[in-house]
Amino acid sequence: MTALKRSILPVLLFGLAFAPGPGAQEKTALAIMTAVYERPQPSDMSATLTMTLVDSKGKERTRSLDQRLASFGGVDKKIMVFQSPADVRGTSFMNWSYAEAGKGDDQWIYMPALKRVKRITSDGKGGSFMGSDFSYDDLGARHPSVDSHVVLGSEILAGEECWMIESKPKGAGDSYSRTVSWISKNRLVGFKRDYYDKKGGLLKTLSVLETKPMGSYLMITRTEMHNVQTSHRTRMEFTAIKLDTGIADEQFSERAMTKGL
Amino acid sequence: MKKVFKSALRHPFAVMVLSLFTTVLAVLSVVSGFRMETNLDTYMPRTHPAFVFSDEADERFMIRDAILIAVEHPDSVFNPATLQKLIDIEEDLLALEGLSDARVNSIHTGDNILATDDGLDVRRFYTEAPADQEGADRIALAVRGNDMIAGRLVSGDERTALIILELPESGFSRDLYDQIQRIADDRSGPETLHIAGRPIVEGTLAALGPADMARMGPLVLLVITIVLLLVLRQVRRTIITMSVVVASTIWAFGLMSALGVPMYSVSIMIPVMLIAIGVAYAIHLYNQIDHFVRETPGASRREIAEDAITVISSPALFAALTTVAGFVSLVTSQVYPVKYFGLFTAFGVFASFMLTMLLVPAGIMAFGNRAVSKAASARNARAERLPEHGLGARFADALKAHPRLVYLATAILVAVSAFGISRVWINTSFLANFDSKSAIVRTDAFVNEHFGGTSSLNVILEAADPDTFKDPELLRLMDGLQTGALELENVGDTISLTTYLRRLHSSMNAADPAFDVIPDSSDLVAQYLLLYEMSGDPDNLWKVVDVDFKSANITIQMKSDDTRTIQRVIDYVDAQASEFARLGITIRYAGSGYKSLIFSDLILQGQMSSLGLSVLIVFILVSFMFRSLLLGAISTIPVLISIAVNFGVMGLLNVPLTTSTALISSIAVGIGVDYAIHLITHYREALRALGDEEKAARFSMSHTGRAVLLNAAIVISGFMVMVFSVFPPNRQVGLLVSLNMLTAFLATVTIMFMVLRSISPRLIKELQK
Repeated sequence: MTALKRSILPVLLFGLAFAPGPGAQEKTALAIMTAVYERPQPSDMSATLTMTLVDSKGKERTRSLDQRLASFGGVDKKIMVFQSPADVRGTSFMNWSYAEAGKGDDQWIYMPALKRVKRITSDGKGGSFMGSDFSYDDLGARHPSVDSHVVLGSEILAGEECWMIESKPKGAGDSYSRTVSWISKNRLVGFKRDYYDKKGGLLKTLSVLETKPMGSYLMITRTEMHNVQTSHRTRMEFTAIKLDTGIADEQFSERAMTKGL
Repeated sequence: MKKVFKSALRHPFAVMVLSLFTTVLAVLSVVSGFRMETNLDTYMPRTHPAFVFSDEADERFMIRDAILIAVEHPDSVFNPATLQKLIDIEEDLLALEGLSDARVNSIHTGDNILATDDGLDVRRFYTEAPADQEGADRIALAVRGNDMIAGRLVSGDERTALIILELPESGFSRDLYDQIQRIADDRSGPETLHIAGRPIVEGTLAALGPADMARMGPLVLLVITIVLLLVLRQVRRTIITMSVVVASTIWAFGLMSALGVPMYSVSIMIPVMLIAIGVAYAIHLYNQIDHFVRETPGASRREIAEDAITVISSPALFAALTTVAGFVSLVTSQVYPVKYFGLFTAFGVFASFMLTMLLVPAGIMAFGNRAVSKAASARNARAERLPEHGLGARFADALKAHPRLVYLATAILVAVSAFGISRVWINTSFLANFDSKSAIVRTDAFVNEHFGGTSSLNVILEAADPDTFKDPELLRLMDGLQTGALELENVGDTISLTTYLRRLHSSMNAADPAFDVIPDSSDLVAQYLLLYEMSGDPDNLWKVVDVDFKSANITIQMKSDDTRTIQRVIDYVDAQASEFARLGITIRYAGSGYKSLIFSDLILQGQMSSLGLSVLIVFILVSFMFRSLLLGAISTIPVLISIAVNFGVMGLLNVPLTTSTALISSIAVGIGVDYAIHLITHYREALRALGDEEKAARFSMSHTGRAVLLNAAIVISGFMVMVFSVFPPNRQVGLLVSLNMLTAFLATVTIMFMVLRSISPRLIKELQK
């Protein structure tokens, strides 16, 4: 089994890190971002995700789902099973994404009302994740080499001394003009990120609300994405987290989708 | 009032200087604070419940007015260059100031939900233009297989693709329109680009109307000047009269500007109104002056001026007051620009009355009353010398000889009008304001021919409980409503939650047509929608249902924005309201098409109330002036007939009530009654002076009849200029006002005059008291 490096559920990966890293000393921006990206990751994980969408009038909509993810020889596999709301309970999505360049994801859906597993091919990764303020891109860990990074300065955030690092895409066609990340100097973990739209205006702010040390990892358990232009917020909370339990490849099958986690 | 005018005679130059000074102040006010309001939304009464709901629903479902850009290729849009051009145009549009947040819908941005052997394929038709024709053919194939896209974003003949640009905010500027037009021009060839959609129509309308009226203003000025020269036969009198109306127009705009009221497109009618109406008071003054000078040769300047003031100021004051009342009655309108139009024109009318009564006598005092030309004076003298035998007198006699003919003709006219009135309809179509041959109408027709329709109505369904709109029974009812709506005339397309569900259901079942229906269970509905949220663009979903599934939005697209079409759809939906009510669903409406409809109701209500109000005020004013309810009632005869004829002709000629045509009749009441006021005043005076009914009738008909004829002729010639407008609503206003004036004049000198004469014994008795 290989470590989970790619974009299975990178909201978590954004923060996954060991306890105090080696370097409180100054580093180049690229080196910092690379160090964050290359933190050792658990090889598998299961958790319950509760996602709360808050609209501009403060109205909340909550969904919860169980998920498991693991990586097998360059293939990241994930299953999500919805628990609530009641009418979608048991609906599950399975996603296999491949390290191999140019190979698209494989996706399946199981609908209890249809009692059948269907295959979905989709390129809808540019849009928002389940109608939330997170885009699929936000959830993916971006390889540091596709951006150019500059250290803007240092700032204390929630008692942690952080680097402020600005990242600008090298190529064209990205949804953001730049991002600014607050990276803890001590733990090499991101605590906050601002996303700027193509016109250079602040679009969204991702905040880490809660972290928990679990074994050798520091897990981010609560985050919030705030779209400042629409006043929408999405909170994600992870509970019942289990790491490195040795989930078998057979657990990612159509059969597994139909019987739930 | 008379005293004021007479005491002003002592200081003619002071009066002139003061008038000039005030006018300069008004000019300064206009120059410093003038503001043009082009946003048509300001016409809408924001606080009306239907508007409040519609605005709220627009927000809930992101209902936005859209600009449609139809890209037409001679053969097929499915070639690499045209597919690339769609992307280019979209990028151009989104780069425009204020449009970066606009939503764009096209085959380039749209998702294709497609059935595959073992499931579903959700992906865009293309993100980058294909390199070769083969790639374009593949896209064509995909589009053909998707009935949510084929016919909606690409025409059936595949020669036209549509880019739908939803504006982020309501309100559309002329500037933006020009920029979009420029993009279309730049990107044309070999494709033809057509721009349509309500914002474009509104934008063009907002720009064209005032521009047209700005051309008409000087033309009216010119025509009135020429007519005045012919009627007054003096350059000096013409200059004084024209100064009066021009000054009063400047005063009105000066006051508007000083009070911070912006210029609306309807305000542009103010100058035309004031120029055409304001000259009337001078006509009557000069008519009396000429009469007095002939009767009293060698009279001094002061005697001439004082006589004119004594005789004319009272009827002219009431004529002015009734005209003012006609305009003031427009404050009952719920449409603010119309209220303002009424108030400031009323102010201008009164200003022109005051200025006439001050400046015309001041002119006599300062410069004397230059004799009229010999030929003219000879002509006048003939008419005046024999007041009982002139044309007016013969006309008076002829009337008396054939009373039945007059009554019969009036009865027939009223009967025909009544028939016409029953056919009057209201139209708030913006498009109807343009010539059928204009580019904007042809573009609209083109898009309507190939797509679902450029106008839309939003049917908003609301339930008490969350998740109601996952109920298959309700969804099937909605589906039935939509299917039935497509049978209606001019309905081209409908989109709602059911459209997505049917597509998802059949796609998940290998595109089996048997599954192109609403799924049977609410859980399956929920799961399909979750799937769509996960794989498609959830924003599309929130345009048809709210996140709680408590309310839904059915968009019905229509190929016409006229009131009949929208009303037909609403009647159709309302007829099914009880079935929805059984499921606890209430139906309401939203969208700009619906707001127009409500607006048209308001126009009608406003029309009726201001018309009633103006007739009432006129009756009260005239009764007060003559101290006689009977004479007050008689004076309303001509205006009542002209109202009937006005609406009758509109009905018969299929001219709908619109924002502009609705204004006319209440204004016409105020202007039209003036003829009656002058004629009744002088008839009564003549009865008193001559003591003989026959002579009094002949005298008043020839002396006052002449002034009234000239008055009507001038007003009519002023408004008839607008017939040369390129803008249909302005043409209609010109024609209808002219028609009203003509009818009011004719009714005054015929039927009203006869009724007046029939009560002469009573009048004589009263006078003798």
